[in-house]
Amino acid sequence: MASSFAAAFEIVSFGAIIVLVVLGLGIIASMMGIFNFAQGEFVLLGAYVTYLASAHGAPVWAGMVAAPFVVGALGFALEALIIRRFYAAPIVAMLGTYALGLIIRESVRSLIGGFYLTVPEPIGGSIDIGSVHISTWRFTIIVVTLVVMAACYLLLSRTSFGLRVRATLENPALARASGISTPLIYGATFAFGAALAGLAGALIVPVFSLFADLGIRFLIQGFVAVMVGGVGSFIGPVAGAAVIGTLSAALPWIMSPVVADVLVFVLAIAFIKFRPQGLISGKGV
Amino acid sequence: MLLIALLLPLVLQDYLTVFATRVIILALFALSFDLVWGYAGIMSFGQALFFGAAGYGVALMARDLDITSIFLILPAGTLIGLIAALLLGGFLLLGRYPSSVIFVSLGTLTGSYAADRLARGWYYLGGQNGIPSIPSLSLGSTDISEGPVYYYLALGILAVVYLLCRFLVRSQFGLALAGLRENEQRIAFFGYKAQHLKAIVFAIGGAIAGLAGSLYAFHEGFVWPNILGVVFSTQVVLYVLFGGSGTLIGAIIGTVIIEGVSFWLSDNYRDVWPIILGVLLLLVIMFRPLGLISFVLGERERVGRFGKAPKETRNAAP
Repeated sequence: MASSFAAAFEIVSFGAIIVLVVLGLGIIASMMGIFNFAQGEFVLLGAYVTYLASAHGAPVWAGMVAAPFVVGALGFALEALIIRRFYAAPIVAMLGTYALGLIIRESVRSLIGGFYLTVPEPIGGSIDIGSVHISTWRFTIIVVTLVVMAACYLLLSRTSFGLRVRATLENPALARASGISTPLIYGATFAFGAALAGLAGALIVPVFSLFADLGIRFLIQGFVAVMVGGVGSFIGPVAGAAVIGTLSAALPWIMSPVVADVLVFVLAIAFIKFRPQGLISGKGV
Repeated sequence: MLLIALLLPLVLQDYLTVFATRVIILALFALSFDLVWGYAGIMSFGQALFFGAAGYGVALMARDLDITSIFLILPAGTLIGLIAALLLGGFLLLGRYPSSVIFVSLGTLTGSYAADRLARGWYYLGGQNGIPSIPSLSLGSTDISEGPVYYYLALGILAVVYLLCRFLVRSQFGLALAGLRENEQRIAFFGYKAQHLKAIVFAIGGAIAGLAGSLYAFHEGFVWPNILGVVFSTQVVLYVLFGGSGTLIGAIIGTVIIEGVSFWLSDNYRDVWPIILGVLLLLVIMFRPLGLISFVLGERERVGRFGKAPKETRNAAP
C-alpha cells in the first residue's frame, strides 16, 4: 500500500512536471501555429536564472520569481526581432527556432561548462503520511502546476486579453479589422509562453539540477504531448502532456525502462497517425 | 573542385586525410537529406536514424558474423537504410489522409530520438559505449583502413551517388519532386500519386544515408548511440540549409564549409564555435533561405528541368 502510494506520487509529480513544461509550448503552438524548438532552451534559461540568483546569495525563491519575467522579456524581444518573420512558414519557423535554441544552449554551456550544478530546494524536507515520505518540493510543484494551469485557463477564457488572443488565432484579418493589434498580441502570447517555460525551468531545477542539455530532455516529449493532445486549443496540449507524462512515468514500473521509454513514443506516434486531430480537437480554449 | 578533391590526399598530412574522408562521408549523408527535404519537401528531422541503423547493422555484421567484405557491407548498409526508411516513411507518409508536414517532421524526430534511447539502453548494442573496434573493411584479402585509399573509396562513392542523384532530379521524376515541394496539391491534381512519390524519395534518401552510415562505421571503427540521435539528425539539416537546400552541390558545399571551419576553429574557439554556428545559421535562415549557394545560383536551378536546358542558364551549372 505504502509503496504503491509512493509510486503514484512519483507518477503524478512527473506528470505535473511535463504539464508545466508543455503549457508554454502548447500555448505557442496552439495560439500561434509555431512549434518552438527553442522552448527547451527557455526552460534551461529559467533554470539558469534561478541558479544565478542562488549562486549570488539571493534566496532561491527570489530567482524562481524572477525567472519567468526575465525569460518572458527575452521571449518578447526575440519575437519582435526574429520569430515574427517566420509566421508564414511553419517549417522555416522550426529551423529558425532551432538555430535560436542552439545559440542559447551553447551560450549557457560555455557559461556553466559541462557541469551538473545543483540548486537547493527552497522548501526542503518531506511530508510524512503514515509511513510514506513524499518530497515537499515535488508536492509544491504539483500544486503550482495546478494553480498555473487554472490561471492560464481563466486568462484565456475569461479575460478580454484571452478573447483577443483567440480572435487573433481564429481570424487574424478580421481581428485586425476590429482594431486588435495582432503583432502585439502575437508578441504577448509568445512572451507568455516563454515566461511559462522559464517558470517551469525555475521550478524543476532543484529536482534535475542544471546542465546544458536540460531543455532538450523535455523538448521532444513536449512536442509529442502537444501533438497527442491536439494543436489548436489550450486544453488539448495539457491533456496530451498529462497522458504522456503519466505514461512515461508509469510504464517503467511494469516493464524494463528502456522498452517503456521507446514504447511511449511509438504509441504516441501511432496514435497521432490515426487521429491527427489529437485527443481534443477544435479551436478555442 | 573535383580536381582539388582528387589531389587533396597528396598534399595533406595523414590525420587531415582522415578528417577529409569523414567530411566526404558526411557530405554523402547531407546529400541524402537534401534529396528528401530540398527536392521533395519532406522535412526529415530523423535522417540520422537511417545513418545510425545502417552503421549499427554493419557493425554487428562485422562483430558477430565476421563479415567485412566491402561487397557485402556496403550493399547491406544501403539495404538497411532503405528498409528502415521504407518502414518509417511508409508509416508516416502513406495512408488515407495526407500527413501534415509538421507530423512528418516531428515523427521522424521522435523516431530518431527513440532509436537513440533504445541503443543507449540495449546491452546487445553496447549501451552508452556503442560497439568499439570494428575491424577494417576488406576487399578480397587486403584491408581498406583509413587513409588515402579509404579517401578515394569515399570520394568515388560520393561522385557516383552525386551523379545518380543528379540524373534522378533532372528526370521527369525530379521535376515532379520539385513540384511536390512547391505545390503539393497541384501535383496531386495533375494525377501524380503525391504520397507514393514522397515515400519513394524518402526510401532513396534512407538508402543513401544507410550507405553513408556503413562507410562511417568502418571508417571511424566504432559506432555509438549519438550517430542515431537528434543532435546528429539536426546537424545534417544545418549542413544542407547552410549550403543551400534543393541543389545537390549546395549540400556538399555546406558540409565542407561547416566541417572545415569547425575543424579549423575548434583548437582555439571550441566554446564559441557552436554559438557562432547558431548565429550564422539564423542569419542564413532569415536572410538567405536558399543557403549560401543562392549567391551563385538562381532560383531557377532549384526547380530543376527536364529535356533541353533553357539557354540563359546553361552556364550556371552545376
